Amino acid sequence: MSLLKVSNLTTRFHTRNGVTTAVDDVSFAVERGEILAIVGESGSGKSVTCYSMLGLIPMPPGKIESGSAMFEGRDLLAMSESELRDIRGDEIAMIFQDPMTSLNPFLSIGEQLVEPLIYHRAYSRSEARVRAIELMEECGIVRSAERFDSYPHEFSGGMRQRVMIAMALITEPKLLIADEPTTALDVTIQAQILELVAKLQDSHDLGVIFISHDLAVVKELADRVLVMKQGQVVETNVTQALFSAPQHPYTQELLAAVPKGQKQSNDLTADSILLDVQGLTTTFLDRNSGQRFKAVDDVSFRVQKNEILGLVGESGSGKSTIGRSILKLVEADSGAVIFDQQDLLPLSQRQMVPLRRRMQMIFQDPYASLNPRMTVFDTLAEPLLYHGLATRKNVEGKVLELMDDVGLDRRAIKKYPHEFSGGQRQRIAIGRAIATRPELIIADEPVSALDVTIQKQILDLLVELVKKHNLTMLFVSHDLSVVRALCDRVMVIQHGKLIEFESTEQLWKAPQQQYTRDLLSAIPQID
Amino acid sequence: MSQAALMEAEQGTSLWADAWVRLKKNKLAVFGMSVVGFFVVVAILTPWLAPYAYEAQDLELGATPPSAAHWLGTDIFGRDLLTRIMYGGRVSLAVGIIATSVALVIGVAWGTVAGYVGGRTDAVMMRIVDALYALPFIIFIILLMVVFGRSMLLLFLAIGAVEWLTMARIVRGQVLTIRSQEFIEAARSMGLSTPHIMLRHVVPNSLGPIIVYATLTVPQVMLLEAFLSFLGLGIQPPQSSWGLLISYGAETMEDYPWLLIFPGLALSITLFALNFMGDGLRDALDPKASKD
Repeated sequence: MSLLKVSNLTTRFHTRNGVTTAVDDVSFAVERGEILAIVGESGSGKSVTCYSMLGLIPMPPGKIESGSAMFEGRDLLAMSESELRDIRGDEIAMIFQDPMTSLNPFLSIGEQLVEPLIYHRAYSRSEARVRAIELMEECGIVRSAERFDSYPHEFSGGMRQRVMIAMALITEPKLLIADEPTTALDVTIQAQILELVAKLQDSHDLGVIFISHDLAVVKELADRVLVMKQGQVVETNVTQALFSAPQHPYTQELLAAVPKGQKQSNDLTADSILLDVQGLTTTFLDRNSGQRFKAVDDVSFRVQKNEILGLVGESGSGKSTIGRSILKLVEADSGAVIFDQQDLLPLSQRQMVPLRRRMQMIFQDPYASLNPRMTVFDTLAEPLLYHGLATRKNVEGKVLELMDDVGLDRRAIKKYPHEFSGGQRQRIAIGRAIATRPELIIADEPVSALDVTIQKQILDLLVELVKKHNLTMLFVSHDLSVVRALCDRVMVIQHGKLIEFESTEQLWKAPQQQYTRDLLSAIPQID
Repeated sequence: MSQAALMEAEQGTSLWADAWVRLKKNKLAVFGMSVVGFFVVVAILTPWLAPYAYEAQDLELGATPPSAAHWLGTDIFGRDLLTRIMYGGRVSLAVGIIATSVALVIGVAWGTVAGYVGGRTDAVMMRIVDALYALPFIIFIILLMVVFGRSMLLLFLAIGAVEWLTMARIVRGQVLTIRSQEFIEAARSMGLSTPHIMLRHVVPNSLGPIIVYATLTVPQVMLLEAFLSFLGLGIQPPQSSWGLLISYGAETMEDYPWLLIFPGLALSITLFALNFMGDGLRDALDPKASKD
């Protein structure tokens, strides 16, 4: 008997705008000691599938129309809310994407860990404490006994995810559902967490459902893979077979969209320097200690015309701050940013205005970087009109041209941002950035928030625009595969310092620094 | 500058134009607007429409319940209640609308600048607000009356000048969350000037709570006016306002309930209508709220 056997599960959402089938006749099984990965893009129903069977979707508007989910011979879908509650967090545990929002910030870690033991297992407080500390140790939290009384904000992202895992495992569940558990983490931390999940799955003989959009991660971890699209299972197979011989066209498309390969460096002539950054240092005030810490520490580099320069590092490394300091969105403390023979740092904001036209930024989150109350037309027309590049009369034509440029449907001109998908929104943001025909574009993680197939489209668009408009791009990213496929040269940033700066080819062939080697080896590989 | 201002005005049309289209589709909001509109028109035309003069007394008649001659009855001096409510509406609506507008303009401008510019400017501006909060309202009004003499306009300004404080705080809070969003950074990296960013990107996105609070301010200032009038600082009998009618009506509630009921109805209907209108406006100004 399978640990969990889901048959013909269908979940619909009944909203004012009609009925959406989020999960459409989905069947699968998970065995003990097996990791089943569910992959798909956002909105494919991979999370809703799992939430449905645990009774965690809002009902209404959600409604489970049919199907069964047999967990050790009992149908989860037929259970009452109180029966389900006993199973959730006891026999079936979950871990989520963002450990910070899943932990109660007002309770110490220990308090939150022992709670299920006392609640589900009738442990005494002191027994529970011993067990919790044991498990924290097992999950790789060093000095567990001391950290038992720490609060969530005192842990780093990776440590918090370890705490979440410890919390999930504390009742010795039989099934663990992990919903994108490493998506918010840095690549080196991700590698550690994946290793931990695999180890614990083995030692506790867990069944694991691993929900992810990241095919490379899935390939490293899962025994079997279920590919979902628009609520349906399009393909399911053992991992090896699925990756070596994908059957369904959608799976093939997904695999093809994973960034691979390496950009062939252009011949760049040394005299064509667009941007010369010298000894850039930016500090921020740390509110806790009252001291200033260096987010960017004495960074010097030159950007050549028409190149795509990658800027990689983990979160908190200061890579975004470098981009923002160049554009003077944050004030740098010292150094020089020479653009077209002019040092930008001493300029006032007013003096910057004509230069801003020539350097633009693309932001990570297309949901946050567009004004929700401006239509596409307003958003794209604003820079044109403001910098006097169009008049009231001809602005509409120019906006339409821009929309063509970034692959937006001309008919969408009067729509608001929320009416677009993430990829389309990023196209609007790109359109806004190239509207003033800038020479330099700083792209801050422009594809990190996007699905893999959309990511590929946006990257293709960026490459095309760089060629077409002779742009130079500083591409900030934590995703090394993307950087490898896109960039001519790469800078590696750690703790605000530039530690390695090489051509892409050279960096992958012979990384000089230990940190770079760690980064490169932590990337899950698909081929 | 003039060119930029012109551009701004022209650019700014599409959100409001779209909002107007959406507002017209919201039946409740249209109903609210019609009611408010009707009351405003009646208030303006009262001198021609009113069946009696507002100070006309008929002491022999005294307080009578509604009748054919006096549709809403008369008060203890035999004055026609309908007439007094109509004249009272002129004062109350004017106070409500003008004082709220004053509060709105000052509060939004103050709160936006404080919240957006931040730092020391913010600290100084908000301490001024705190200081004014601490000032006893009545003493403030009495001082104004003493210095400038009693006038209707002053009353409006005085109430507005007090009500903007809360508005400024609400707006500032809104602006603080909006300021940290990426689209503001995008606007800055585009080289847009600070006033332009405030006008085009910050204020439109903080309108929701502003509108709701504004609709709540209207009844508040109407009652405040009654309170001031009661103290002898606002308008004087035989002039009237809804607030005054209600407070006198409340005194004689047991004997002549209609003296409380009808002015009370006038006030509540207006408030309901304003709330419908405010909610509709808030939804209409949020492109995400209604999907048509």
